[in-house]
Amino acid sequence: MHLFLLGVSHRTAPVDLREKLDFSSRDLGAAVEALVTRSAAAESVVLSTCNRSEIYIASADAESAREEVVAFLSDYHQLPRDLFLPHLFAHSDMAAARHLFRVAAGLDSLVVGEPQILGQVKDAFQAAAERHCTGPLLSKTFHWAFGVGKRVRSETALGEGAVSVSFAAVALARKIFGRLEGRRVLVVGAGEISALTAQHLRSQGVAEIVITSRTAAHADALAAQVGGRTVPWAQMRTAIADADIVLTATGSQRPIISREDVKAVTGRRRAEPLFIIDVAVPRDVDPAVSEIEQVFLYNVDDLQGIVQDNLARRGAEIARAEAIVAEEVTRFTVWQRSRRAIPTVVALRQRFDDIRRAELQRLEARLAGLPPDARARVDEVTRLVVEKLLLEPTEQLKALPDEETQAAYTEAVNRLFRLGDGESAGAASPGPPSLEASARPPSREASARQGNPTDRPHEK
Amino acid sequence: MNVLPLILYAAAGVAYAIHFARRQPQAGRVATTVLILAVLAHTFVIGMQTMEVGHVPFANPSRAVSTFVWLLALSYLYLEITTDERAMGVFIIPILIGLQTIPAISPGVEARDPILDSPWFWVHVSSLLFAYASLALAAVLGLTYIVQFKEIKKKHLGFFYTRLPSLQTLDVMNARAITVGWLFLTIGVVVGAVWTAQARAISPDDPNLQAMALNDPKILFAVFAWAVYSFAVVARRTMGWSGRRTARLSVFGFVIVLLNFLPISYFFTTSHTF
Repeated sequence: MHLFLLGVSHRTAPVDLREKLDFSSRDLGAAVEALVTRSAAAESVVLSTCNRSEIYIASADAESAREEVVAFLSDYHQLPRDLFLPHLFAHSDMAAARHLFRVAAGLDSLVVGEPQILGQVKDAFQAAAERHCTGPLLSKTFHWAFGVGKRVRSETALGEGAVSVSFAAVALARKIFGRLEGRRVLVVGAGEISALTAQHLRSQGVAEIVITSRTAAHADALAAQVGGRTVPWAQMRTAIADADIVLTATGSQRPIISREDVKAVTGRRRAEPLFIIDVAVPRDVDPAVSEIEQVFLYNVDDLQGIVQDNLARRGAEIARAEAIVAEEVTRFTVWQRSRRAIPTVVALRQRFDDIRRAELQRLEARLAGLPPDARARVDEVTRLVVEKLLLEPTEQLKALPDEETQAAYTEAVNRLFRLGDGESAGAASPGPPSLEASARPPSREASARQGNPTDRPHEK
Repeated sequence: MNVLPLILYAAAGVAYAIHFARRQPQAGRVATTVLILAVLAHTFVIGMQTMEVGHVPFANPSRAVSTFVWLLALSYLYLEITTDERAMGVFIIPILIGLQTIPAISPGVEARDPILDSPWFWVHVSSLLFAYASLALAAVLGLTYIVQFKEIKKKHLGFFYTRLPSLQTLDVMNARAITVGWLFLTIGVVVGAVWTAQARAISPDDPNLQAMALNDPKILFAVFAWAVYSFAVVARRTMGWSGRRTARLSVFGFVIVLLNFLPISYFFTTSHTF
C-alpha cells in the first residue's frame, strides 16, 4: 500500500485556479466518498483551504493513482485537465508524509507558523473518517501529522507573535489590559484597517465599540459592520475620556488629537491606562501625547516594526521546526518499513498454522477418544507453541534497519518456508521444494489490505 | 536544619529560571513541585523549632528571617496557584535563597525573655512578618511592572514583554499585596505599641522597653514604612495613583522594610534585643 499525494498550493498555483479547485465550499465528505468510490484508492482524505487543495490517498498502485486523481479533479470541478496539470504537485510515500507533516506544522503556510492550519488538517481527516474513507495507512499518517504539528507548536516559537498590524495592536492591548472583556474602544475614522482591528477587538470580548467619523454615513456603516454605536464628530474629544483603547485612522492631513486633548481626560480624572493606536498616515495623534504617564501611543510604523520582528523571529524558528519534521519523518519511515514486513509475517503465520492444523487432522483418529476439553487443550497448546516460535522472528523482521536488508531477509524467509505456495496445506509432509513456488513473489499488498489482525499491533 | 530548605529553594530557583528563559511548561511544573517540597521541608524545620521552644520561632533575628522566608514562599505559592502565573517565581526565589542563607549559616538561639511570654508578642511578630512577606511580593510585582511598562512605553518589546503578565494583572496583584501588607503592618505596629505600654506598667526598669520610642531606628523605620504604604493605599483610592507610581512606591517601601529587617535588626537597634 502506497501513500500518494496530489494537489495545488499557494506555491504552485495562482489564486484563481486554487478557487476553481476548492473543495471547502462544498461538501467535503461527499467529495472524498466520490473519490474512493470511483477509484482504486482504498483510503482518501481531501485537505482544502484557501491556500491549498490536496488529495491524499492510499493505493496499491501508485502509477494509476495519479491518473485517477487527475481524472477525479477534472470531473468533480468540471475543468479541462490542461488548465491545472502544470500547477499540480505530486508526492508519494515518504515525500507525501513529509509534505503533510510540514503542512500540519505550519511550515508550508503562506504566513509561516499560522495557527489555523493544524485545525484544518484535523477537520479534513475527520470529514473523511466520518464517511469511512480512511484506513490504517492514512489514519496513522494523519495522526502522526497532528503530533508533529503539536510538537512544533510546543517546542518552537514558530507560531508566536502577531504577524499583521491589526493582530499586533490586539496583542499589545492584551499586554496592557490583560483580558479585554469590559474594555471600551473608540474608533476615530472608519477605514478598512479600523474595521479589521475593531473586529479583532470585538472577538476579544470588548464591552463597547464607539465609532466617530467626519462623514457620519461611514461611521454608521462601520458601526453596523462591527456592532458598535456612533457619536457625532464634535464629541470625539469627550469620547476619549470614556475609552480604554482609541484607534485612529482618518485621512486628515494634520493631527486631530493633541497632547492637551488627552491631558484633559487623564491624570487625576482617570487612573487607568489609555492605549492609542494611530494607524493613519499622516499621523492623527501628536507624538507628544506619549509623554503622558499612563498613555501608550503606537503608530503604524511601530506596529509594522513589531510585525517585522515577529516575522524575523519566526524565520529563526523555521530551522528548528524543520529539524523536528525531519526527525518525525525518520521515525515514520521506520514504522512504514516495519509495516512492509507484514505480508511476509502474515504468510509465515499462515504457513505454520496450516502445518499445525494438518498435523491435528492427521492425528484426528487418535484424538477422537479424548474428552472435548482435553481436545480443546491440545488445540490451545499447539497454537501457543506456534505463536511462541514465531514471536521473535516476527519482531526481528520488522525491526530490520534498511530496505535492502529487509528485502533480502523477506526473500530468505519466503524461500525457506516456501511462502506464497498455494498448496501450503500439503507442506505437512515434506517434499522437494518447488522452484515455481519460490519464484512466485508474495502478494504483499493484497494481504495487507485485508486488514489482518497482525496489522493492529503496529498502530501503537 | 535550615540548610535543606535552602538547597530545595535553590533547586526551585534553577527550575524557575529555566522555565522563564525557555518558557517550557514542564520546567514550570517541575519548578512549582520543587518549591512545594521546599516549603514542606521548611514547614517541618519550623514545626520542630516550634515544638522545641513552645511557640513559632521568631524572637531571634535569624529565626525570624527563616519564618519570614517560609511565609513569603507560602504567599508566593498562593499567588501562583490562584493566578496560574509563574513568571514571578524567577524574581521571588532569589529573595528566598538570599534570606534563607542567614538562618542556614547562623541558626541563632531562641530568646526566652519573660516579657515575650505574651499573646501580644505572637500577634505583633506574626502580623509584621506576614506584612513583610506580602510587601515583598508587592515589591517584586512593582519591579516587574516597571520593567514591563518600560518595554511597552518605549516600544522595545523584548525579552520581558513576552514573559511577564499584562500591566493590568501586575497592577491589580500589586494593589492587593500592598493592601494586605499595609493592613498587617498596621496591626503589627498598633499591637506593638499597646503591648509596650502594658509591659512598661509591669516592669518599668527593663532597658529594652525604655528604648521603645520613635528615636529608636527600628521603630522609626517601621513607622516610616507604614507612612509610605499608607500613602500608597490612600493615593490609589483618592488621587488616581496606580500603575508605575504605586509600583515605584512599593519597591521604595520594601527597601525600607528590608533595611529595617536586616541591618538595623542586627546592628543598630537598641530596643528589640531580646
